[in-house]
Amino acid sequence: MAEQDTSNPQAAPLAAASPAAPSGPPAATGPGGPRPGGRPGGPPRRGKRGFVRKKKVCRFCVDRVDFIDYKKAEVLSPFVQERGKILPRRMTGTCARHQRWLTVAIKRAQNIALLPFAAEL
Amino acid sequence: MEERLYDLIFICRPDTPEADIDKLISTLEHAATEKGAKIEKNEKWGRKRMAYRVHRLREGYYVYLVVRSSHGEVVKELERRLKVSDAVIKYLTVRLDEELKRQEKLKKRRERRAARRPKRPAVAATASGEPSAAAL
Repeated sequence: MAEQDTSNPQAAPLAAASPAAPSGPPAATGPGGPRPGGRPGGPPRRGKRGFVRKKKVCRFCVDRVDFIDYKKAEVLSPFVQERGKILPRRMTGTCARHQRWLTVAIKRAQNIALLPFAAEL
Repeated sequence: MEERLYDLIFICRPDTPEADIDKLISTLEHAATEKGAKIEKNEKWGRKRMAYRVHRLREGYYVYLVVRSSHGEVVKELERRLKVSDAVIKYLTVRLDEELKRQEKLKKRRERRAARRPKRPAVAATASGEPSAAAL
């Protein structure tokens, strides 16, 4: 609001009747802008209320994993934050059973220095 | 008593010569056979970067052993030897037979289910597979 108040006096000497015209174009792009660029990813589409979130699927269930090997750090690392924290189920979509196995595997890997306990300074 | 399966990983200092590591592995094998156990697999993973510093070292020489035994005494002996050894900076023993047994059980159950209903799961698999592939 303060910017408009300062810009209007500058425009006023040029054309007193035209303040509506300069404010027009930005107002037109304003509501038009967010709509096309707002949600590029289709899946979380807007319903009547909130979003319809894409359902996350347990990656281990998809691959039919019966045993999570603690020796394969590259398998475990996507489920660990940069700082070394184990990601919660709600972030990764892992099912309860696999998350249980996964935490054990990650903790074993941490013990033998395949995964960090915490990021180094 | 049932057979137990252990994973034993230890990390040596990166500057230990290969010959010393081989010697260490052979002494461990001797100790294991004396106690009536068998080392089924020994793999040298070689020098790897560790996720954090141990004894101010960033790298370590990883060695991986699989030990099969009927009792837990072997682990005690092997860990004692690793603790005494100067070259070893870290070790971990994990008992795995119970988890492998569980894995077998789950696998069998799945196969049995697939055998019982050969048609429907296949249809469901293709039906569920297509949308997920399309979504990806």
